[in-house]
Amino acid sequence: MNARTPQSSLKDLRSLKVALIHPQDQDGDELLAQLARIGCSTQVFWPDAEILPDDCGLVLLAVRPETLSIHYPWIGTANAPPIIPIVTFENPITIEAVLLLNAFAPIASPVRAFGLLTAIAVALNQHKFRRSRERYIERLERKSADQRTIHQATSILVKNRGVSENDAYQLLRSQAMSKRESIESIAAQIVRAQAALSF
Amino acid sequence: MSTSSQMPIRIGVLYSESGVTSAVERTQQRATVLAVEEINAAGGVLGREIALVYRDPASNPSRYAALTEALIVEKSVRLLMGCYMSSARKAVIPVVERHNALLFYGTPYEGFEYSRNVIYSGAAPNQNALPIAEYMLSRFGSRVAMVGSDYVCPYESNRVMSDLIFERGGTKVSETYLPLHADWNTYRDIARRIKAQSPDFIFSTVVGDGIPLLYQAFASAGLDPYRTPIAGHMTSEVEVALMGNDVAEGHISCAAYFQSIDSVENRRVVQKYQNRYGSDAMTNMCWEAAYFQTHLLALAIRRAGSDDPTLLMQVLPGLEFDAPQGRVRLDEANNHTYLRPRIGRVNASGQFDIIASAPDLVRADPYVVSHGTPAWATFNEPVTPARMAAGGKS
Repeated sequence: MNARTPQSSLKDLRSLKVALIHPQDQDGDELLAQLARIGCSTQVFWPDAEILPDDCGLVLLAVRPETLSIHYPWIGTANAPPIIPIVTFENPITIEAVLLLNAFAPIASPVRAFGLLTAIAVALNQHKFRRSRERYIERLERKSADQRTIHQATSILVKNRGVSENDAYQLLRSQAMSKRESIESIAAQIVRAQAALSF
Repeated sequence: MSTSSQMPIRIGVLYSESGVTSAVERTQQRATVLAVEEINAAGGVLGREIALVYRDPASNPSRYAALTEALIVEKSVRLLMGCYMSSARKAVIPVVERHNALLFYGTPYEGFEYSRNVIYSGAAPNQNALPIAEYMLSRFGSRVAMVGSDYVCPYESNRVMSDLIFERGGTKVSETYLPLHADWNTYRDIARRIKAQSPDFIFSTVVGDGIPLLYQAFASAGLDPYRTPIAGHMTSEVEVALMGNDVAEGHISCAAYFQSIDSVENRRVVQKYQNRYGSDAMTNMCWEAAYFQTHLLALAIRRAGSDDPTLLMQVLPGLEFDAPQGRVRLDEANNHTYLRPRIGRVNASGQFDIIASAPDLVRADPYVVSHGTPAWATFNEPVTPARMAAGGKS
């Protein structure tokens, strides 16, 4: 892992916008004060938070009986910020709710100032890492699907034209070049055409 | 005012009288004694005397914690002065938090901490490491050799320094960490090696007994402090006295307090201190923090009308005091202290000539990761005009 990557997310903390979904009690006050010391700007919600601010980069969510029944529509969406659960109970139902948040670094109640900065750093960094891994997997999946299509198309050409597999691929390539399209798209057209003919 | 009828207010004092950091800690203890004598001479607080209960943790972190626990449990102490190295403070924090006691910590440290049960009266990195880094880099050049003791605070100071070097496109010629108990031979070898690297200056974050050894090793390696100074924010008058004025002259430190500060209040307190402890008794940044934090506590007890830590925590934020460094103020939100950072260069008599000062109080920002540049530290004024022509690169 690049040694400077984790630090760079620490350096952005002063511009981090935090949504604190927490009642105003001792834990809430402690969190708000420590977020101010760290230098993040914080908006407080409780218990509803139907819509998050646009530039919200982190959510601190009290996982309590009051929030168990609330559906936060942004949870699990593509651009949802990472969530740090603030956990008051350790019963199975609460833990189940925490697991649904895909969280990396829970904070235990009663909250102490110490530990929040590390939790934020871990959450932001792991979130970034997960995002890039998801994008990487998407790219791989797309690529592998394309490979499959190309393979199907060359097999069709081998069968219909009696050429070698290598020649079939070269055919695809020159076709793609002359039509100014990608090999994948030419291959897909051939596969579709073949499917249309095989009834 | 009757003080005899009332129980004294007991304050636990945890400064090491032996071990690697005892030279400084002994001055902190004496500063605490001086402040308490002043407070008691003026009638105490709330009609009660302050009584100090001393324990010697012998520079051993786990002894700080054990002695704190014992003072709290056996002596009903709830207010404590002490700790020097971060390892000691970290060991004491869980104890004071568990018992809701209040620790006054009068030593510069690496930041990134807040405990509601600790008042931090020494400098955070933005009040010492940052200004001295900026000062040195803008004056002497950006080829830097770093040498520090192997524990948390030097690593953080060097991170701040490294960032500033990196921003300027400078070079870190070496970064060395030595054990707290490193011997003369180790320092001698390091000094020779660093001299051969010909850096523009040396950034030292060595603490305790190693400081005199480091400076002496550089002197014996033939390093000219006016050409290639050692810059540090852990090196004070105490270590200068230990290493010898001839060795120390020309090296540079950053602190919120130097004994040489020319103010009525500082002269008064230094005079009193020397009357009490001898005319050769020297003061330093940690001494000053230990002194003013004791007065801040007394002030808080008066204001709260109680010595109960919970009530004190309510009145301490925002509290101000005319300290030897000038007026200081406790931050409203982070339990740290607004201070007046200064940069000083050791003169022939072992005192610091103040060569740059922050124009105003500087707020402690213990959680800042990316430091901005303090304009005052780059202030472009010859250090010592006669000699700067040879050494400065401004």
